[in-house]
Amino acid sequence: MTETLLSVRDLKVSYKVGRGTLDAVDGASFDVPRGSIVGLVGESGCGKTTVARALTRVIADNATISGGQLLFEGRDLAAISEREMNAMRWRDIAFIPQSAMNSLDPVYTVEYQLNEVLRKRGGLGRAQARKRCEELFEMVGIETNRLGDFPHQFSGGMRQRVAIALALALNPKLVIADEPVTALDVIVQRQILDQLRELQQQLGISVILVTHDISVVAYICDRTVVMYAGRVAEQGTMEATLTQPSHPYTMGLRNAFPDLQGAASGMLTPINGAPPNLALPPPGCRFAPRCPFAIDKCTTVSPETLEVAAGHGAACHRADEASKLRKLATRTETWMTTEMAEA
Amino acid sequence: MSHLKAAASRTLQLAFVLWAVVTMLFLMFRLMPGNPLAAYIDPTFTEEQQQALMAQFGLNEPLWKQYLIYLGNLLQGELGQSFRYREPVAERIMTLLPNTLILTFSSLIIAYAFGIIAGAWLAWRRGALVEKTAIPLVLTTRAMPEFWLGMVLLAIFSFWLGWFPAGGTRPAGANYDSLFALYTSSDFLTYLALPALTLAIYSQGLPLLLMRSNMLDVMKEDFVTMARIKGLSNWTVVVRHAARNALLPVMTSFAIAVGYQLQGNVVVETVFSWPGLGRELVNAVSNSDYPLAQGAFLMIAVVVILMNLIADLLYALLDPRVSHA
Ligand SMILES: Nc1ncnc2c1ncn2[C@@H]1O[C@H](COP(=O)(O)OP(=O)(O)OP(=O)(O)O)[C@@H](O)[C@H]1O
Ligand code: SF4
Ligand SMILES: [Mg+2]
Repeated sequence: MTETLLSVRDLKVSYKVGRGTLDAVDGASFDVPRGSIVGLVGESGCGKTTVARALTRVIADNATISGGQLLFEGRDLAAISEREMNAMRWRDIAFIPQSAMNSLDPVYTVEYQLNEVLRKRGGLGRAQARKRCEELFEMVGIETNRLGDFPHQFSGGMRQRVAIALALALNPKLVIADEPVTALDVIVQRQILDQLRELQQQLGISVILVTHDISVVAYICDRTVVMYAGRVAEQGTMEATLTQPSHPYTMGLRNAFPDLQGAASGMLTPINGAPPNLALPPPGCRFAPRCPFAIDKCTTVSPETLEVAAGHGAACHRADEASKLRKLATRTETWMTTEMAEA
Repeated sequence: MSHLKAAASRTLQLAFVLWAVVTMLFLMFRLMPGNPLAAYIDPTFTEEQQQALMAQFGLNEPLWKQYLIYLGNLLQGELGQSFRYREPVAERIMTLLPNTLILTFSSLIIAYAFGIIAGAWLAWRRGALVEKTAIPLVLTTRAMPEFWLGMVLLAIFSFWLGWFPAGGTRPAGANYDSLFALYTSSDFLTYLALPALTLAIYSQGLPLLLMRSNMLDVMKEDFVTMARIKGLSNWTVVVRHAARNALLPVMTSFAIAVGYQLQGNVVVETVFSWPGLGRELVNAVSNSDYPLAQGAFLMIAVVVILMNLIADLLYALLDPRVSHA
């Protein structure tokens, strides 16, 4: 088993909204082994970005990390001082945002923005920084004569490559990519993902890839962490979670997406209903209102994570019946029943 | 290439506006009720002077010919004789224009420098006590009438404390070798201080509030969040990224404000007996000194139009999305 770079333990992040609070992440735990790509997947609003940003500790003004540990090489990022945290930002943990257009400053050239981290955060001199800029552009496959261009002069795909170059500038140990290809068309998506995979292996870094698209996970991830309504529903290796999903939500997700290769594998079946309101989460299993397999216990008792195989866990009361449920889950009728039950 | 073309078309556009203003002025002063000659000839001029002006402006020619002569004269900077000063209008205006420009620019530069820094700072300290007390204060300064503010400053700093002279641009009887010597003398600065301060206080609210609200918007942008995730210092995040972007529209408003201020100057120039263009325009109108009024009006229009052009060019210069399209 490879060494663990990051271990998130029981993370809780709350937003202050009006007079109350909303627990956007409510006890999430998962591991990131060194040198692997971990896909953090789930529907919109399930708390993926909140987890990703908590790892940098640059969170919204109304957010607080209200519990849990973020053990990075054994050191708890949630407990260190802001000064210590800042020293680690970008040098140890870098970030690739969804929209490189908005995350690059429009008034500076790309070279200026690379130089900024190389010189201010990496302590490089002018000549060294210049060399490194060229190196980084070569790594991501952009001609070095475009270093002096402004962000708006690049195409969407190229801007995303610039964002990757920027993230790799200081040789971080962990790169967090929050929906890095969501805004791009499928062909460019694949190019960027291929590139990311190649660089990740070449440099031996770890990546947390945030996405709502399970086909992206299937395409490049080593491990999967499936989130639902602020909690981790299932996690394990990519093969195990996608070929033997043990949580009904993962089973449903798999039916709901075409794969990235373009071949539509059978009919797409959406999961009916919507995620719960996080300000008022249902008692018991948060997926119960949408789950075709819910039993009485599900609406009252919150499920613990059950280890279905080594390194493969699912937070479901019926995880031990997973192989039976998987068969049912491949049928479209199974997912229709919930709709009818609700209607 | 394309932005050169854009600049050229913008220049042409403004040239057209200038022509329209010039034509309007012509019509306004020619079609005035009463004797059309009144626009250029004062009855107290000598017979000779009257004849000379008649010839120079073609005053007994048909209107369209007068118009062409008028345009030709303008191109040569010929604006007629001031009734009141008995000297060429162009000369008169050229001695007043620097006073007005110096007052306008010095007060606006102070106002903008202060407004930009204070606005950015208040945005950064959003929600803090300073911000909550400063904003109503700024709004109050925006609501104070200029003349009242001018009088208060006069009363305190000139009459009471005696730190600054009460009006004019130089000590009585003082003479300088050249205008340049006047404008660079320390005396001149003491005369400039109070009117410039009045205008600066009056004008700082706009850049301050504009800068603050732009900053608040920009600080929500992804690239500012990213700058923090990069671990850059607060200074770099707030100044290099947030303020630099928030500055763009404020700089453009500076150029527009210059044009706007030229009108506002009238009051302050009057309170401080500052020999500027605005005050002269008002005097000229009330004294029926038509050539001078026409000239002053034209000059102000030229400055306003020019500043609009500068505003556009400045924006293009500061925003790479325009200059590197
Ligand atoms: N600043 C905030 N204040 C209040 N609530 C917030 C804030 N940011 C996010 N939330 C809420 O927290 C929950 C999780 O949001 P988050 O952005 O982490 O989701 P996500 O999984 O990244 O979704 P998406 O796929 O849409 O990006 C959502 O319900 C969202 O509405
Ligand atoms: S715990 Fe119950 S409701 Fe939740 S996923 Fe498992 S079966 Fe469905
Ligand atoms: Mg998100």
